[in-house]
Amino acid sequence: MLNILEITRRSLEGKPCLEKDYDLRIFAPRVQELVKEYDVTYDPNIVISSDDGLADSVFKAAFDLIVEIGVFNKDTERVISFTEKEVRDSINTSFDHALLGEGMEQRTLLPRKPESKEKPWIFAGAGGVTVSSENVFMKLVQNYAELIPIANAITTPCLANVGDMSIRAKSPLEIEGSIRTVVLGREALRRAGRPGLPIMNAIGTAESAIALASGLHPDFGLRKTDGYMIAQLAELKTDFDLLNRAALLQSLNVPIAGIHGPIYGGFAGGAEGTAITSTAFHIMAIMTLGASWTLCFPIHLKYTSSSTPELIWVASQYLQAVSRNTQVPALYYNYTAAGPCTEMVLYEFAAEFIGGISSGGSIETGGVARGKYTDYLTPIEPMFASEVAYASAGITRDDANEIVKRIIPRFADRVGDPPRGKTFQECCDPVTGRPSKECYEIYERVKQEVADLGVRFLY
Amino acid sequence: MSEDIAKLKEAIIEGDAEKVTQYAEAALEAGVSPLVALEKGVSEGAKHVGEQFERMEIFLTNLMLSGEAMMAALDVILPKMPKEEVPVAGRVVVGTVRGDIHEIGKNILKAMLVANGFAVTDLGCDVATSRFVEEAEKIDADIIAISALMTSTLGGQKDVIDYLQETGKRDRFIVMVGGGPTNQEWADEIGADGFAETAPEAVREAIRLIEERKG
Repeated sequence: MLNILEITRRSLEGKPCLEKDYDLRIFAPRVQELVKEYDVTYDPNIVISSDDGLADSVFKAAFDLIVEIGVFNKDTERVISFTEKEVRDSINTSFDHALLGEGMEQRTLLPRKPESKEKPWIFAGAGGVTVSSENVFMKLVQNYAELIPIANAITTPCLANVGDMSIRAKSPLEIEGSIRTVVLGREALRRAGRPGLPIMNAIGTAESAIALASGLHPDFGLRKTDGYMIAQLAELKTDFDLLNRAALLQSLNVPIAGIHGPIYGGFAGGAEGTAITSTAFHIMAIMTLGASWTLCFPIHLKYTSSSTPELIWVASQYLQAVSRNTQVPALYYNYTAAGPCTEMVLYEFAAEFIGGISSGGSIETGGVARGKYTDYLTPIEPMFASEVAYASAGITRDDANEIVKRIIPRFADRVGDPPRGKTFQECCDPVTGRPSKECYEIYERVKQEVADLGVRFLY
Repeated sequence: MSEDIAKLKEAIIEGDAEKVTQYAEAALEAGVSPLVALEKGVSEGAKHVGEQFERMEIFLTNLMLSGEAMMAALDVILPKMPKEEVPVAGRVVVGTVRGDIHEIGKNILKAMLVANGFAVTDLGCDVATSRFVEEAEKIDADIIAISALMTSTLGGQKDVIDYLQETGKRDRFIVMVGGGPTNQEWADEIGADGFAETAPEAVREAIRLIEERKG
């Protein structure tokens, strides 16, 4: 980890470069060269590979990428460069845990290894999908905490509105929305009887650094043991608004996550380049943010979801690469194509998380229906996803590969035209927020199917 | 003649701007008419690239490099053509709304539009509402295409439409919206003319809307 002021100095004094040149003439070709140099190959027949050498090759390629091309700062149009020694030393001396939660809910987020029997960190909830009202927000968060006892942390929804006004980025509405997100989230967890649970996507509604800073005041209820995410821009980019958050959060001494969504089909190219880029982002988070955990959500350029076989392979390779070669805990977050109260969304979660957990990761339950539609979320999907992830600890990569390959055909042909599903209002009791009988029947049916494939659920 | 055109088309597909310039100049010097060079070399090459991208046989880098190569070809060919003979599918202003710095989706759309013969003015990201309109007027655009990636910046799309209506210019332009959180319901709500989930769909929608307007 380099001091944030040193990152700033390099942002201001680094090599000038046009963004277009960084994308097209520096990043993209070098990634493809590294794919060849390290012989990184995606085999469609092995979506979860148990080849440690392949995972290490992905890591070496990512290491070389960061050392050779650095990170692009969009504000200064300069490259933040690192020496090989700096990168190696930073990886070797990085944070190796994050203490999260309070009281009875306090736990330590630790790194896992491929095929580890250690239970994954379960970061459950909305994955930042927007909701239309404070009532829906409260009902969802309370039900996440009540229905997912294995949850280690909660990811809240984002508020779309403040009163009758849509939240607008960089306006007072964003400030107010950010503060309300924190206050409501904490209160919902108290009502669920789990006031110590950490909110790990604090503050979901804050898009700008000033909104984050506003919501951080202790009066509103955020704690040092909550999780604080800083986005990293595709591909291998940052800007001063994001680095400003690092400057603030490092001074507050809170656990920082670098989060990143490399694009399959974008500048990284295909599956191999996207796996290398995902891994390079993990290293970037260590170098530029002082991250104590990271979260990756590779996404398909065409479908804007992550459950295609290529992307399940990308997530698996990324998690194996970073868990075998760094000590910073890595989480995986997904975007399902299908929406709530469908079988397909549960198949997608099962395939992605069985693969991810056996590959050495932990999880944040993802955005359903591509995270695209307001109120398209219920407690059922993160509940199922959490249970699958928890049950997948200890599954070997070879077994995971066989299981995942049997799940994929149950949804793969619908990724391009997925069912949108139903809204919270259509699926959940308006007073309690509990999911409907229909949702539970789908959940029970798919859970039994997954159990029949060899996944041993705790309950 | 056909060999020069074939090489030009191939260089467009490869995204090699230097070769494109070389082959375009060679074709014109060999007596190929600028219109033929444009239609048989540049447009066919670009169309091929767009189709490959839609099938995900090539990726964004190839698409954008081909877009650059196409622009290099146009730099050679267009000065040799009377303005009225230049075939243009339509003129489009694209940009990402104020407060939003995401532009990969917008860049894909731009490349796909260029590949399909549109003249595109790219305003970049974090674009002020009034600038969309000013630039559209400046190039006499057919379409204003507005991108937003965040729920909290979607309102910027409505701002542009409101501004057009308030200034009495709404009927002059087709307005299309796109980006992560946008959908047909939103497009209808704010009075946009078109919406698409993906860049290839957006191109088809742009062609349809222009044809519809022409009657």
